[in-house]
Order: sequence, then C-alpha cells, then structure tokens
Amino acid sequence: MQNLWPRIEGLLRDAGRDISRPARYLNHEWGCTYKDDADYHFCMIYPDTYELGQPNQAVRILCNVVNAVDGMYAERGYLPAADMIDLMRREGVPAFSLESCAPLHEFDAVGFSLSHELVATNVLEMLDLGRIPLRAADRDESNPLIVAGGPCAFNAEPFSAFFDVFLLGEGEESLPELLVLHRKMKQAGASRAEFLRAASHLEGCYVPSLYDVLDEDEAQQTGAWVRPKYEDVPANIVKRIWRDFATSPAWEPTVVPFAELVHDRLNVEILRGCTRGCRFCQAGMMYRPVRERSADNIVSAVQRGLAETGYDEVSLTSLSSTDHSQIEEILRRLNRGLDGKGISVSIPSQRLDSFGVEMAELVAGGKRGGLTFAPEAGTQRLRDVINKGVCEDDLFGAIDAAFAAGWRRCKLYFMIGLPTETDDDIKGIASLAQRAYDRAKKATPPEARGSVKVSISCALFVPKAQTPFQWDGQITTEEAHRRINLLRSSVKYRAVDVHWHEPDVSLVEAMMSRGGREVCDVVETAWRHGARFDAWTEFFSLDTWRAACAECGVDMEGIAQGQYETSWVTPWDHLSVGVTTRFFRRERRLAQEERTTPDCSYERCSACGVCPKLNIDIQCQEERHG
Amino acid sequence: MADFRLRVTYAETGRLVMLSHLEIARALERAVRRAGLPYAVSQGFSPHMKQAFGSALPVGVGGLEEIFDVSLTDYVPPEEALARLRASSAPDLMPHAARYITKDETAASAAYPRSTYEALLEASRSSDCEMDVLAAAHELSLPSEITVVRKKKERVLVPSEFVVGELEVEPAEPGEEGQSRALVRFTLESKASGSLRPDVLLEHMLADSGLRAASILRTKQSEIPKE
Repeated sequence: MQNLWPRIEGLLRDAGRDISRPARYLNHEWGCTYKDDADYHFCMIYPDTYELGQPNQAVRILCNVVNAVDGMYAERGYLPAADMIDLMRREGVPAFSLESCAPLHEFDAVGFSLSHELVATNVLEMLDLGRIPLRAADRDESNPLIVAGGPCAFNAEPFSAFFDVFLLGEGEESLPELLVLHRKMKQAGASRAEFLRAASHLEGCYVPSLYDVLDEDEAQQTGAWVRPKYEDVPANIVKRIWRDFATSPAWEPTVVPFAELVHDRLNVEILRGCTRGCRFCQAGMMYRPVRERSADNIVSAVQRGLAETGYDEVSLTSLSSTDHSQIEEILRRLNRGLDGKGISVSIPSQRLDSFGVEMAELVAGGKRGGLTFAPEAGTQRLRDVINKGVCEDDLFGAIDAAFAAGWRRCKLYFMIGLPTETDDDIKGIASLAQRAYDRAKKATPPEARGSVKVSISCALFVPKAQTPFQWDGQITTEEAHRRINLLRSSVKYRAVDVHWHEPDVSLVEAMMSRGGREVCDVVETAWRHGARFDAWTEFFSLDTWRAACAECGVDMEGIAQGQYETSWVTPWDHLSVGVTTRFFRRERRLAQEERTTPDCSYERCSACGVCPKLNIDIQCQEERHG
Repeated sequence: MADFRLRVTYAETGRLVMLSHLEIARALERAVRRAGLPYAVSQGFSPHMKQAFGSALPVGVGGLEEIFDVSLTDYVPPEEALARLRASSAPDLMPHAARYITKDETAASAAYPRSTYEALLEASRSSDCEMDVLAAAHELSLPSEITVVRKKKERVLVPSEFVVGELEVEPAEPGEEGQSRALVRFTLESKASGSLRPDVLLEHMLADSGLRAASILRTKQSEIPKE
C-alpha cells in the first residue's frame, strides 16, 4: 500500500498556520498498533474529525477485535477538518488511514461508525475524498467493501444506497466474522455479488441491494417496505448481541492522543444496556438487556488502564453508570487507590434517582466541575408519559446532595415537543429549574451562594426509529420556537440560563431518523450542494437540505412531522433491535394513559421480548436497589 | 515533604515537531505517569502534577535539547528515572538525560535565554530545481524589521536585536529525492519584552529567495555568558 506521509507532511509544512491542529493527522501516538505481515487491510472510520472520533469507543473496540485476527490489520481513519479537505482536494491527495497513511481506496474493507443521523454527508465526503464510488451500485471488484454499523443501522434506509453491508447490534463478533468471510471468498476469487449474497446469511447482517423496495400501500399490506429478491435472503434482520460482554476484561487497549479531544480521558465501560425504559430513547431499546461487569474486573481495568496510558482522569462509562449494582463499592475502591495522585474518577451522566449524598461524595474526587441531570420534562404528568421514572423529590434530593458536597453549577436537560406536551409542561420546566436553584442556594454555605448557577438546556424531541415514540411526529420549527420563547419568558430568575439546540438541525435529524430509501437521494444531493459537518453549527444549513428535498421531491416535514397510528408499518420494520413491535405499541398506549412501566432490572419483566429473542438474560452483579 | 526536582532533557523530532507546546506538555505529563515515577501533586482546587517546561517551540520546529522539570516525592536514581521514562515515551519525543537540580537553579522556562537553530534549506516548489541552493543561502541576510501580529496588535521587531552573532551557512546532505540542500544556523536570544520566533524570522529571510525551509531544529539552548 502507498504511504502518503511524505506528501501529507509537505502539505502541512507548506501550509504552516493555515491548517488548524496538525496533530489530527500525525499518527505515532502512544498505544498504536502496527502490523507488517497482514494480508487483509481494514480501515475503521469515524466520519468526523479526529478530536471527535478518537475518543469513540466503538472505533477502538472494533479495531482491537479485527487486529486480534491473524493476518488482519485494522487501522483508524477520520474525516480531515474542512481546511485540510479543501487543501487535499486542491493538491490531489486522497483520504488516508492514520497508521500506515495509506489511501482509503487501497483497503480491502472500510467500516463506518454511524453514531448519529447528521454524519450522513460526512460519509459521502469521506468516500469521495477516498476515491471510492459513493453508491454501492457503482462499485466493482476493484473497490473496497464498505460496511456500516452503529445506532443509525437500525434505520439503515436513508443510508442504504451508500453501503454494501450493515451490521446490526454489537460488532465484537459480527465484524470479524464478516471480514474473515470476505477475505476467504476474495482470496478464492468470488465476485462482489457472490460475497454479498453469502454475507446476507450472517446473523445481524443487512445487505440492502438484495431487497426490492415496495410502495406504501404494498408495505402496509405486507408488513415491510422491502422484500428480499431471493429466497435465501432473510426478510427480517435482528441485531447481534455479544454474550461475553459481562465476563470480558473491562480494560480495552487504547491509543493515547497528542491532540486535545472532546473526551480526553481513560474510558472504562462498566455496563451495557439500560432498561429504565424512557419511551423516546433509542439507546435504551438498542442495547438491551442490562449486563454489568464485576467490581473486581472494573477496578483492575482502571488500574491497568491508568498505568498504561498515563491519563489523569478516568470515566466509568455506560448509559447509566450510577445504576451499576456495585457502583458505590467501585468508586470507594478507586478513590482509595488513587488518593494523592491527582487522578479523578468521573461518571458521564448521573441519574437523578440514584444520585444521593454518598454518590456526591464519591464522584470526581477533589474536582467539582459542573453536574448534569436530565429530568427531560417539566411536569410529573409528562415525565410519566415518557416513562422517565423520576419525580421532583429525586431532583431536589440530588441537588441538596451535590451542592452540600461542593458543586456550584448544575445543568438540567429537557426535551421540547414531546408527545402530549402542553404549555403547562413548558412552564413547568421554568418552575422546576427555579425551585432547583432555590434548593441549590439553600444547600450552599452563605459565602459561596453568589457562584451558584443552574442552567436549562433543551433540545427538540426527535422521534427515533425503534422506540415507542417512533410513530409520533415532531412539532414544526415555528411551534418549537414559540415554545422556546414561552420557556424563556417563563424563567424569571437571572441566575437561571436557558440554552437550546437549533430546531432546524433537529428537523433534518428527524427526517434521517424516520425516512425510507428515498432519503438517500436527498443526502447525496445535499452533499453535492455543499452540505458537510452538519453536526457543526457553523456548517449546518437548513436551506441546503430544503433545496435537496425539493430537487428530489421528498417532503422533509412530512417525514419528520407525520403522526401515525401504531398499526402503521415503518420503513425500518424489517430491522430489529430484538424488542417486539407489540411492546412498542403497548408502551405507546401506556404513554397516552400516563402510565409508567418499571425497569425490569429492578422489578418484574416488562416483556419487551429481547431476552427470549436473543437467548440472553439480564446480568447484574448484585440485586439492584431502586 | 521531600522535593526532588528532576530535570529531563529530551528530543522532539520527526512528525511530532508538528505538535503545539500544550500538546507536548500533556504528552510529557502522561509519559511521567506511565513511567510510574513518584511525582508530586499540587494542592488546591484542581490537583495536578508539579511539572515545569522549557521555553516553547513553535509548531513545525523540532528540538534536540529540550527540557522539563518534574518534582518527585521520593529519590529515584536519575539513570533509573531516565530508563523508566524512555520505556514510556514515543520514539519522536524521547528523553536522553536526567539529573536532579538544586533550588538555586533557574526554572526550566527561564533557564536558557539563548536558542541555536538549524534550518535545512532547499529550492522552493516554484523555483528552478537546478538552482544553486548553497549560493542562494549565502545571499541571505537579516531583514531590518519584521511586523508581527499578536492578539490582534501589530508589533515591529528588529531582528538584529535578537540575533546573537552571525548567520552561518554550510553545505548539507541532499534530501531524500536527491535535491540539493544547505544549512543555515543562527542563535536567538529572548528578551524580557518578548522574543522573535525562528520560523517567523526564516519566513521573512526566505521571502523572494527561491528557498524554503524543509525543517527547523533547535539544536542547543544556553545561558547568557557572564561578562
């Protein structure tokens, strides 16, 4: 494979200060993997810049599992920043991998992690810069196999034209299986088409080119929007789950970057899955059931990880880390072991109902930055609708504990436009935040009260595929602005700030989340008109997306805002997180009735269907305490 | 508490010359932790390793004799500390000496006001590749003034106030593709009022010369000789 480094180095030197953060492109970090004897080359891409992609745990895990296969070499790849992309295009330099600085098009296979809907145009930017045909249909034997996985694979349709294969669910086993099959068939001289047909037989593997797309009437009658072209191709694809997660070592070898990252710390994944059952939450449906690693496993992984990386901070990651049945023991043991070393232990998000006085003392050692809690809705009624399962007293209890333990700043997350939301719910957000501020002040010593800060951060509800709210439409951007203004005028305290996520961006997210195959054309058209880095406020342009929709005859608002009965067959019905549609329907009905469903890792089974479907059980280390 | 100040000398070479001073500082701090040295931690709101760094190198400029100090709570023989640091460092950011310093010695950041740089010069891309690089290098002279912009404020620097001694030019080994090269060496002294960056000086010296700097390296740092 070509080594592009001399050219890249020349570009960086000659550009001098015109290229921001050259550390993004250097490689040579501590902990990189090098293999000289590989006969199969895979590049794992995070379709955004280095500082966002390098901390991504999926990329790290997948590179490690592929590197564990004899003769296979997995490298990392990130989308260069806009200044570098433009320079590379001018100079005719293609997208490259980090470790061997090889052009993307020379790899046997290229994987993309699709962590959110707005990476779509970045995928095209990377493929184009890598000199790989954008559409699977235009690729031949000379092009790499293009694979995708991650949350967006659960509604793969808006991305389907650009990928040869999607892997649903956890990739620890399925990615190496797919690549081993690819190597074997490629070496035996099989064609691309023969390989794709064989790949469709692997569990959790979706090959969109092997399906015909039906029209809406036909879809509603037959129960799916796509139909396999061949009898041996499965009509439904269910996610894969890695059964050994809980018992596998929590230490995941990692690269230590030079450049400053968005999350620049040692990450140790302590549990997977969350069954609190929030009805808007895709992650909660996607990673079921709950599987915990043991305290011994976690503590030794942290010790080893810190010794091998030299980080001064470790984060115990998961969807809901304070829910781990041994979290107090873990934090106590870590704090004892790390005392006096200037190393802090943090937890990415705290659930209100499991953050008490003990936890406030245990988290973050001596450092007290800001705390983030997510009540999600302003009134108990709406919190019951979304099955958040927390009440005001949980919030106030957590605030009392945190501010008494020395915290001075607290951010509260809310969603606007949730199904059934009224103006009273919006006013409820203001009221809740102001009362939280009063509690925070009371829990703080008088001399420090001036620095107490509570902020409200709100985002527009985006209906996500594979959730009980997948049939619910998003509110219009005009209505969203009205509700945001109502919230701003309802907040009377100066010390309570209100921040919000632009509704324009959420509209595109909703289209990407709920769209069908027709959205692929929109993505490509938007990219051709200059859309890229859509998750970056300074790059996002709703006008570009609107123009692309108009050109392709796709109704963005219709897809994002359409309200359906739960009998309506969705464009992703052939793809499954293992949870039954019946469960989604029941949850949607209970939401309407303002009734909650308990967490099955604490109480009785909620019959979502994932355990029997995937033949797995909840794996908790100890009995959980609610 | 016992305080052993270890002064470590390292080289910053290869592609890591593209790192910023902050990135280098963070990488060195992590290397100290990986080495398992008994580093001292500051007290206060945000406890951190007691470490001090030598004067910053601009992005794109490497160094052979760069320094940092780290305070240890226990005595570790310097050769052992060095061996542990070397085993924990990236090849292009490699320590090669370590010694303890006394309380009287100047802090790393101010220890050496004078820096000697060597730049490898070659024909710029737009120039005639047959040009006589050495002759062109001998023609180089200091600009009388350089205007720099810092924090949106313009400042006029006079290079002769910063340059110590003469520019030295000598032949150099040809580049990887056989291109002819020459070496220019100069010493800059930083002042209390500020300093002149070697890459900025070169950029102005090389303007319209048909030459470009293929690499810039700080080869030596020294004190101001006592009169």
